[in-house]
Amino acid sequence: MVAEITDGGILYGLIAVGAGLATGLAGIGAGVGEQGIGAAVVGVVAEEPGFLGKGLFLMLLPETLIIFGLAVSLILMFAWTPFA
Amino acid sequence: MPVLRLPKFGQPVKYAYITGRVRAMKTKLIPHEMYQRMLGMDIPEITRYLEETQYKEEIDLMAKDHSGAELVEYATFANLAKTYKKLLRVSIDEPEFLILEYLRRWDIWNIKTILRGKFYGASDEEIMKYLVPAGELDLEFLEGLAKKERIEEVVQAFDGTDYYEALTQYDGEMLSSVENALDKLYYFRMERAVGGTLSVGGGLLLKYVRKEIDVKNLVTLFRMNKAGIEAAVIQDNLLAGGKLHEEFSRMAGQSYNEFVRGLEGYPFWGAISDVVAEGGSVSRIEARLRAYLVRYAWALSNYHPLSILPVLGYIVSKETEVSNIRKIVRGKEAGLSAELIEEQVVA
Repeated sequence: MVAEITDGGILYGLIAVGAGLATGLAGIGAGVGEQGIGAAVVGVVAEEPGFLGKGLFLMLLPETLIIFGLAVSLILMFAWTPFA
Repeated sequence: MPVLRLPKFGQPVKYAYITGRVRAMKTKLIPHEMYQRMLGMDIPEITRYLEETQYKEEIDLMAKDHSGAELVEYATFANLAKTYKKLLRVSIDEPEFLILEYLRRWDIWNIKTILRGKFYGASDEEIMKYLVPAGELDLEFLEGLAKKERIEEVVQAFDGTDYYEALTQYDGEMLSSVENALDKLYYFRMERAVGGTLSVGGGLLLKYVRKEIDVKNLVTLFRMNKAGIEAAVIQDNLLAGGKLHEEFSRMAGQSYNEFVRGLEGYPFWGAISDVVAEGGSVSRIEARLRAYLVRYAWALSNYHPLSILPVLGYIVSKETEVSNIRKIVRGKEAGLSAELIEEQVVA
């Protein structure tokens, strides 16, 4: 059986790549943002163990950006596209 | 020639840990209003209060051998050295290099202490109590120096290092020329080592250090102009490398009133104007300038939060705290009035 390349197939493929990039790049961005915060929080917690709760909250703030990326991915994959 | 310093990507992250840590350490410093209360306490009460702070470990350790003002003095110095060593231990890479470069001032302090101790014939135990092994020279080496009999032997021990040339200026009579040469060497070395790195952090360190040199020179000018010393001698005592070096060189040897009028309009004038107008003593002006320097370091660190500046701010604040405690305790022991001690305290 020979696989047939159609316009629709290419479209689906590109949408899937876009969905992957949306989550992946958001994750990298959040990681870059978190590296400094994480290091600083560990530094503060080494002196003040009571700061751990607040520190973790601050550290997770850039993580919210991944949710945007993930939401875009999910919309691409399941809401807007023929995949749905 | 000025060198363009471009920020590098990822560079500030190196400082995230250490700045987070020093900012947490800053919260443990003794608050300013506490100095006011300490002025009303007697020495045992101050010792008890210090036992509730970060000095507890040192005070507990030394309480069996010492008491009173001596105990507080030794404990604060030991704590200072421990704190600075800790900063070096928990930092790596550029921050560590810059912190060590700045902390070399304690090497100079230790060498000066040993020279002075030998000059006045103090015993090696007595000298050891005033050493702060926070720089590169470790306690063992310094102990070896303190045990030496004569100043010439101490100087010989530095053969082959940068210090040797400065130390050979000792003529057997006056220590001030050697001390001055050591101070100049410290700033010269820092400029050479840090200026060569072309890093953003190094540039910021130098920016603060230039301010520090200016303040030191200003205090020298206040002292010497007031005493009416001739211009050439004063110029010789000014440290090179400050931002206002040329202006200060020109002010050397002026009459006191003329000199003070010339200072109006400089950024530090606001910090000292009222004391100068009252005709306050030089030590009061010095305390005000010191407070200005601490404020300057922290203010600058607000513009560069992930840099060496918060660490520097902490180093300077901690040193000020220790010197304040010592001033209060020594003043109390000597029976000085609370007002007189308060004038010297940097707040």
